[in-house]
Amino acid sequence: MKHPAATEPSARESEETSLPIFRSWKSVYLLVLGSFVFWVTLLIALTEFFS
Amino acid sequence: MSALDFVVLIGSMLGIAIYGIWRTRGRRSLNAYLHGDGRTPWFAIGLSVMATQASAITFLSTPGQGYLGGLGFVQIYFGVPIALIIIAIFFLPIFRRLNVYTAYEFLGRRFDGKTRLLGAALFLVQRGLGAGLTIYAPAIVLTTVFGWPLDLTIICSGLLVIIYTVAGGSDAVTVTQKYQIGIIFAGMVTAFCLLVAKLPAGLTFTDTLALAGGFQKLNAVNFSTNIHERYTFWSGLLGGTFLMLSYFGTDQSQVQRYISGSSLREGRLGLMFNAVCKIPMQFSILLLGVLIFVFYQFEQPPLLFNPASHQYLALHDDSGQLQALESGFQQTHNQARRQIENWLDARHNGDETGARTAFAAAAAAQQQGEAIRAQAEKTLSAANSGTTANDADYVFITFILHQLPHGVIGLLVAAFFAAALSSKSAELNALGSSTTIDFYRHLVKRDATDAACVAASKWFTAFWGLVAIGFALYAHLVENLIQAVNILGSIFYGVMLGLFVVAFFIRRVGGTAVFWGALAAQMLVFFLYYIYFNPRFFHPPISYLWYPLVGCAACVLLSLILQAALGATNKSAPASPVS
Repeated sequence: MKHPAATEPSARESEETSLPIFRSWKSVYLLVLGSFVFWVTLLIALTEFFS
Repeated sequence: MSALDFVVLIGSMLGIAIYGIWRTRGRRSLNAYLHGDGRTPWFAIGLSVMATQASAITFLSTPGQGYLGGLGFVQIYFGVPIALIIIAIFFLPIFRRLNVYTAYEFLGRRFDGKTRLLGAALFLVQRGLGAGLTIYAPAIVLTTVFGWPLDLTIICSGLLVIIYTVAGGSDAVTVTQKYQIGIIFAGMVTAFCLLVAKLPAGLTFTDTLALAGGFQKLNAVNFSTNIHERYTFWSGLLGGTFLMLSYFGTDQSQVQRYISGSSLREGRLGLMFNAVCKIPMQFSILLLGVLIFVFYQFEQPPLLFNPASHQYLALHDDSGQLQALESGFQQTHNQARRQIENWLDARHNGDETGARTAFAAAAAAQQQGEAIRAQAEKTLSAANSGTTANDADYVFITFILHQLPHGVIGLLVAAFFAAALSSKSAELNALGSSTTIDFYRHLVKRDATDAACVAASKWFTAFWGLVAIGFALYAHLVENLIQAVNILGSIFYGVMLGLFVVAFFIRRVGGTAVFWGALAAQMLVFFLYYIYFNPRFFHPPISYLWYPLVGCAACVLLSLILQAALGATNKSAPASPVS
């Protein structure tokens, strides 16, 4: 039995996010890493300042 | 709980389940039943991934972790963003390109049938055996506190989740999870706001943080390289990435959530939503626990939060030891409270020396109180009461029950059940899908029609649901349940990840080499497990927390060695990301 038609991701879909500012996936991943760095910095500041 | 609480609890749980069944009625094709209707947007996928990972024990226990240990526990989530980016770049495009129903189908395409069955079997054994905990863990806490019958609670919640998961398949899981996570967030935000409102009037935001920080509850990041310390920045970043990659990338209960998106874009954005939200979410839950700690500096907390432990001690207290401990605990608490009030006055008057002196006295009194609590736990443990659940699990529910108004209590208990049902339904859906696709259609009936596969999937989902209920009913026989399930996961996750690492990144290794390499790696992990409980053979034993790393590394290395020995006769790899 065959699968239903595969939803083949096009090259365009793989590259573009259709988001207003972050148009490429690379920029989305950088945003995620940026938010990770932000939270770790915040947590380090919390640790250093209040301990 | 009052009648209002029961109305909120039963109304929300039944309402969501009935809505899920109604919304997904008429899903008859296999694709719709296992993948959803193909219109799931990224936000729903993101919530679904989040709801699958966060079980009831997350919301019950994590505030207790914050209360006792502070914010340090947040470090284990440092690996989530990195792991999810790796999955979005490498795993998800391949799963979608092949349009697989299960992650193990990909192993079959990349390697061969036997490797696919091995991957699926490892998943079914691990997830199938651990399935009961998702229902049992919150049930044991809630029934201990409220005095409900444990078996009836397990059976009712188990049957409810079976009914809507069997009826609506993958879409029912996604649809219900959306509303269940809504209830969870509504409950947690309400608890947070009411807790902040209950803190003493003179205590400002910075006073609260300074007080918590003074008691070392805000030590969120620890850069120590000591491997004996459990939560550090490095273990979170390295070990956490590894653990999260295994869980999100190879566990069908998660894979099924993000491959059900209408496009690659929706799946990726759903994963990125979690990559951004997971750390702040866990931080907020831990902060809730830290604020409960601050609250109990001004209100008398119980000596032991678990009422069953307290009751046991009271029943077996012939020498009056419990009374002495309770009286001593109350005295040290009053002393600490007076000194904290002095500290607050001195702080507000700008008297730094006075503030420092008062805080040192408060910390000393607090330490004495903790020593008395430890003595009570030691007495309990020596009496061998059979109480296995951690006292931290009861901190948040005790606060809810004694400090929050009726209606909100019902909302929060509904939130705990919503969390239990949402992760349980995703697990059952994944177990039913994998049994149908990887075993029934692959081994038993290769020419099965869509209708036959949907029917089989429904039966298998119900079967795994009943197995979970059965396990939950007998879970009390396991001495330390949570440790047992953690060990179970650690035993199988490493080799499962090893199979996928070889499949994605080592193109020259073929099916036969990886199959025997994985089996040998699994034997090695079983051996490590054996000597862990028989330390006379090898001392000190390797902790089970290292098993995933050992299993994955051994699987990759042994596959490479076997491939070299077998020669370059591997099957071509159309699914490889490098193709």
